[in-house]
Amino acid sequence: MTAASARPSRRQPNLFAALGLALLLSLSLGACANNAQSGYKTEINDPIEPVNRAIFAFNDMFDRFLFEPVAKIYDAVFPGFVKSGVQNFMRNLRAPIVVANNLLQGEIGDAGVATARFLINTTTGVAGLVDVAATQGLMHEDEDFGQTLGVWGVGEGMYIVLPLLGPSSLRDAAGKVADLAVDPLFVWSNNTHNNWVYLTRGGVEAIDNRARAIKAVEDLRKNSLDYYAAVRSAYGQRRGALIRDDARQQQGGGAAVAMPDYDEEY
Amino acid sequence: MFQRITTHPRRRFLLGALAVMALLALPRPALAEDPTAFIEGLGQKALTSLTTPDINQAEREKRVRGLLRTYFDVDTIARFTLGPNWRNATDPQKAEYIKLFEKMIVTTYAQRFSEYSGQELKVGKATKASDRDTVVSSQIIQQDGPPISVEWRVRSKNGQMKVIDVLVEGISMSVTQRSDFSAVIQTGGGIEALLASLRERTGSTN
Repeated sequence: MTAASARPSRRQPNLFAALGLALLLSLSLGACANNAQSGYKTEINDPIEPVNRAIFAFNDMFDRFLFEPVAKIYDAVFPGFVKSGVQNFMRNLRAPIVVANNLLQGEIGDAGVATARFLINTTTGVAGLVDVAATQGLMHEDEDFGQTLGVWGVGEGMYIVLPLLGPSSLRDAAGKVADLAVDPLFVWSNNTHNNWVYLTRGGVEAIDNRARAIKAVEDLRKNSLDYYAAVRSAYGQRRGALIRDDARQQQGGGAAVAMPDYDEEY
Repeated sequence: MFQRITTHPRRRFLLGALAVMALLALPRPALAEDPTAFIEGLGQKALTSLTTPDINQAEREKRVRGLLRTYFDVDTIARFTLGPNWRNATDPQKAEYIKLFEKMIVTTYAQRFSEYSGQELKVGKATKASDRDTVVSSQIIQQDGPPISVEWRVRSKNGQMKVIDVLVEGISMSVTQRSDFSAVIQTGGGIEALLASLRERTGSTN
């Protein structure tokens, strides 16, 4: 699994055009099944499987020969406090995206938490290196526009494997583009021709995330007969779980447990 | 010879005592009061019997198999992971499939527990999922990383509790395995392809 790495490096993309396109794309998906609030979805729509498999094979090669070894070195060389410093710093940079998506989901409380986290960690947390807010019970929670669309009832569309970035869906890929529009670091570095800034951020973040997934990826590789199919399933389920959590919070909690249907006995 | 042993009064007493001791030593999830305690028991058992570094791979696999058969409904899980293909399989295929499936799980988890590094299972609350099923939520507390959320789906069958699925961070192991297997069956053109693949993976011969 190649996690998010370098961002697409177009020259001066028109942000609002990109955002508009992403919205249009995702709204056109709105006709697809709405499975945000309902039960557990086990089937994944993968009409371009041959293409996806080819890109997946490329990503996997890239991962085995370069990405994973680098992540392992990173993991072995740096002590825990450095690695959590990196993670905290990266999360703090993304705080505006989390706040924006919480607001779009109508999660005013969570938006407040994310804002407080940003203010506390940027100041007392030494520019975001230390997660002081977490020690006060303000926990990190990731949000992105793909999840927001899911909460709004947009189906995931088809499954796509992005070169280097890994598993995604039409909805989540559109979400990634939209998130750039509210990402201050991207907007700033893009407008000032300092593209290396967000490319570097993407690279470091990708290595840090990959290092945290070393065991999980090893497990999945070892325990699956068809690695592609296993990753596809895991991705769909994980995104589904995140969106269900958000939708549940939006509806004021509730004890609904979403589980795969285990009673269609054979 | 067996007859002679059982007829000998003193030996009969010894055998009886042994039988009682064996019964007492047997793990009894059947009598576990509630699903939460049941999962706590499973966690305890795994921690005490599987994580010791001073046993070899074969012994660890044996213990994992014992734990698996005691606490998990392997047949139901195997059936689910085969999905609609279950109906098309012949009886010998089903039997071999269950055997290989169990073997794969045992090897995997024996390996995983041999790499144990101080994780702990913190069991949370139980929620009713259906007439028969309860979901017990828990967290794996790691020394070096955030807690991992794990949900156990427990089914009562004939008054006995068994785990039928495990969800890690919202990802069902059964569903993932089923997608994986069904892809192999589709690509390879039938259940024989899956069996061949499983044989190869578990180092089994036909």
